[in-house]
Amino acid sequence: MVQATAAPSVSAEASDTKARFLAGYRWMQLARVSEEKIASLYRGGKITGGVFLSKGQEALSAATGMALRKGDVFAPLIRDQAGRLAFGETLLDGVRTYMGSRLGPMRGRDGNVHRGRPLEGLLPMISHLGAMLPVVAGILLGRRFRGIEGTVGATSLGDGATSTGAFHEGLNLAAVEKLPLVLVVANNQYAYSTPTSRQFVCQDLADKAVGYGVAAHNVDGTDLGACLEVLYRAVEAARTGGGPQLVVASLLRLVGHGEHDDASYVDPKLRDTPLGRDCLLVAEQRILAEGWANSATLRAWQEDAQRQIEEAVTTTMREPLPDPNTEDWCALASRHLSEGSLPA
Amino acid sequence: MITYLEAIREAQAKALADDPRVYIYGQDVGNFGGAFKATKGLAKEYPGRVLDAPISEDAIIGSAIGAAIEGMRPIIEMQFADFSTVGFNQIVNQAATLHWRTNVPCPITIRLPSGGTAGGGPFHSQSMEALYAHYPGLIVMTPATVEDAYSMLLEAVAIDDPVIFCEHKYLYYHLKAEALPTEAVPTGKARIARAGRDATIVTYSAMVHESLACAEELATEGWEIEVIDLRSIKPLDTDTVLASVARTGRLLAVGEAWPWGGVTAEILARVATEGFDLLDAAPMRLNAKDTPVPYHPNLWGTHRPTAKTIAAALRQLLSA
Amino acid sequence: MPQLGESIAEATVVRLPFAVGDDVQGDAEIIEVETNKATMGVTAPCSGRLAELLAELQHSYPVGTTLGWLEVSEDEAARLGLDVAVPAPADNGHASANPSSTPVPQIAKATVEPTVRGLPVPAHAAGASYLSPRLKARMNELGMHAADLAGVAGSGAAGRVTVEDFEKFISQIEQHRLSPASSMRVAVADAMRRSWTRPLATVGTPVRIDALLAHRKTSNPKPGPALYALRALAVALGENSAPAGRLVGDKIVHPRAIDVGFAVEAEDGVLVPVLRNADKTPLAEMVVRYNELVELARQRRLPPNAQGGSIATVTNFGTFGLEWATPIPLPEQTLVLGMGAGRVVPDWDKGKGVFTPATEAHFTLSFDHRVLDGGGAGRLLQRITALLQEPEKL
Repeated sequence: MVQATAAPSVSAEASDTKARFLAGYRWMQLARVSEEKIASLYRGGKITGGVFLSKGQEALSAATGMALRKGDVFAPLIRDQAGRLAFGETLLDGVRTYMGSRLGPMRGRDGNVHRGRPLEGLLPMISHLGAMLPVVAGILLGRRFRGIEGTVGATSLGDGATSTGAFHEGLNLAAVEKLPLVLVVANNQYAYSTPTSRQFVCQDLADKAVGYGVAAHNVDGTDLGACLEVLYRAVEAARTGGGPQLVVASLLRLVGHGEHDDASYVDPKLRDTPLGRDCLLVAEQRILAEGWANSATLRAWQEDAQRQIEEAVTTTMREPLPDPNTEDWCALASRHLSEGSLPA
Repeated sequence: MITYLEAIREAQAKALADDPRVYIYGQDVGNFGGAFKATKGLAKEYPGRVLDAPISEDAIIGSAIGAAIEGMRPIIEMQFADFSTVGFNQIVNQAATLHWRTNVPCPITIRLPSGGTAGGGPFHSQSMEALYAHYPGLIVMTPATVEDAYSMLLEAVAIDDPVIFCEHKYLYYHLKAEALPTEAVPTGKARIARAGRDATIVTYSAMVHESLACAEELATEGWEIEVIDLRSIKPLDTDTVLASVARTGRLLAVGEAWPWGGVTAEILARVATEGFDLLDAAPMRLNAKDTPVPYHPNLWGTHRPTAKTIAAALRQLLSA
Repeated sequence: MPQLGESIAEATVVRLPFAVGDDVQGDAEIIEVETNKATMGVTAPCSGRLAELLAELQHSYPVGTTLGWLEVSEDEAARLGLDVAVPAPADNGHASANPSSTPVPQIAKATVEPTVRGLPVPAHAAGASYLSPRLKARMNELGMHAADLAGVAGSGAAGRVTVEDFEKFISQIEQHRLSPASSMRVAVADAMRRSWTRPLATVGTPVRIDALLAHRKTSNPKPGPALYALRALAVALGENSAPAGRLVGDKIVHPRAIDVGFAVEAEDGVLVPVLRNADKTPLAEMVVRYNELVELARQRRLPPNAQGGSIATVTNFGTFGLEWATPIPLPEQTLVLGMGAGRVVPDWDKGKGVFTPATEAHFTLSFDHRVLDGGGAGRLLQRITALLQEPEKL
């Protein structure tokens, strides 16, 4: 399932800082480049529905996807293109879902970021925030019943989702059941247009962990190195019996909520703070400063990413769209209990 | 003699014994055996598989969905059907859509202790079946007999889709049978609880017994009333309903739930659209009053249909 | 036995700490019972002496059962409001739950309820004319109409014909000799049935036709008597077409031209050829066309332009030797003018003071009473009578 050429050097034993950082950078870059293409398709009228970009959140997302391994469970949210790719989702799955291809995992029945392959550990989010948290907990509970050990479940949330009942119920239940669950909160300062001051009043979202009796981790979401370190640590802690882990990353969403949103509500001063740094540029500067790669190499990687997304788009464009006449209008797995098509 | 409640307990015991994928999760279901004792002794008999859950209906259902993806067959007890609204989002948006979206089945059974009892009041008496039947992707069962409570719950666990199992609290102790059934009517098939000639009552759950009592009363006046027990309201066995109306020409749909957009409305709509030419009189329906379920027995006894009010409606139908 | 928990139907007495004659304090647990859920003490509602204990150990009693009686002071009873007569408990409904002694509340008598428009609606407004969907479907299957049920006495509510009545009727019919009705017969039947849905009335008057007969004798070719009537009707309607209007909803639909039909008996039915603009065409000019149309109608070969669209019809039932009849207007028309057989009658000559022979025929005008009243119909008939007295002007 892992993308063939994006980061050939990434493997389970990629423990040394340089290799891991470079791999993370390449997932971020592939996410950035592929989402720019998706946005372009949207503006060109090739995609119906929403397009939601991750710009500014790639470092955190890539680190989450990389810290997990095959057999783990990941329930990404809308700004997790990098993490999805790092976890093993193909570019083709993403493009096919955005374009509604009949061959995609969602077959045109659901779109854009609502995609996944549950049996391969990648859960397709529903729109209701916080709702995936109990589901991940349930998979881990199911594994406990089945005697499967050593796997971790992670899910992403935004600052806004910490206000939901599902966040509270899910985290509390995971704590009660001592499940190996990692909850990654991207505090990107705005829930759509609502600033965090209208969302919660605690000093630090990580403080909430105390109330649930779970471990907390803070991290600078613009710093790939820090994200990798914290996420690997949190995932490892969960994997080795440390119970649920709450990771809170501070960053700023550098785009609108979706491509339809110009983010005019964002305080311009915030953009000039360290929160407003573009994590991809920060990572690039470090690579050059450390001498891990030169700019020609970075450019070659970028071209490779562009080639990959172009190939996925070209493939999808030639694929059949969903057909209402051949669509199986049956919502049940137990076909014998279907009432057939009721008069609409 | 075995009660409706014991049948539910026995079905769960059998499911746990037969299938290692089954576990039970819900508030107070563990050592305490459940608020209604529907899981009495099961935690001891099946250690680690009958677990108390925190008071978190959303997370309880959500976790069941996750476990189902993982291959488990969870049985979830909502302490009262009324409380399932707190887990509504997970039921209708996650569980009900999962298979259609991803082709991965979601075999969870959600037990809803449903319906009114004296003194239950607004938040311990609700009948939620129509609400869930409205959503594609869910099966909604409404057993009215001890036998069905047992065999349908076992089938609910076996079905690859989310099943809303509406078990009626009033029937828990009031309904008794000689023994557990060895055979079962398939899900989706209604049962003719009493054969008749002059009018058809279509109903389900506790109202089957009110309707049978009413039929008994009218029999002394020479009327032969047919009573159809739907057993499951989704799928709804339209064929059996239409066949009955074809025999009798008159239809009364009875439900304990509220009238607006409910099961009785669906039955009337189907008969009017698919069987208009079978009707000898305008079809009728009888439901609870359109208010919250009242607390005091004097009010509660009038709020919902009873054998007497069903008889009054039938007399009107028979004279039309 | 109190309701000790939701859905609990009964409980078992497991301990009786007090004996008859004991004094008990209010709220003391006087009977211990066990439900499927728990063991609980049943408390005394007030202080007093245990007068009677009906409950027995290890016996199960349904909720609502009297377990015993307390004898209490009048003050204590008054304090708790037990001295007033307890209103009968309302039926809490469950068919099997209540002892049969529970008083049954009277179901309020169904009365006529005003609708949203404020008008009362009787319970069985449809009555005998109501045909259920099932009955209608069965009748459609057999090609039958409501009129076919005229001879069936309904046994259903308010005299409506039930499906059972209908099937009985059908099986009775099948014991008779049956032959298919001609298509002409069916068409006439259909038109008459549709026409009969309206309130129809008839007026009539004798008309002197000596002048008409004399004029006819001198004419060549000879106009048929009905043509005189047709022309007179057309002239009268040309002067005032309102009586030939049709009522549709709350509108009068006025005729666009005075096209008048006349009934011709054809095999097993009646055809109605039409003379167009009969108010503007003199009698003499219509004779040839009239005769031609009579012939074509008898052969049932009427051209399309001679059928339909007429606003009134003339029928000469006098050709059957009849003096009087009440013809039915076509369903799309308001008027039909009928003419009876002529006969010689004594006519009082005032000047000479003697009876002289005169020929007269009865003319009838049947009309849709929704459009026209007796006065209007009478005036139209009088005008026709007057016109017929001067046939040379027609």
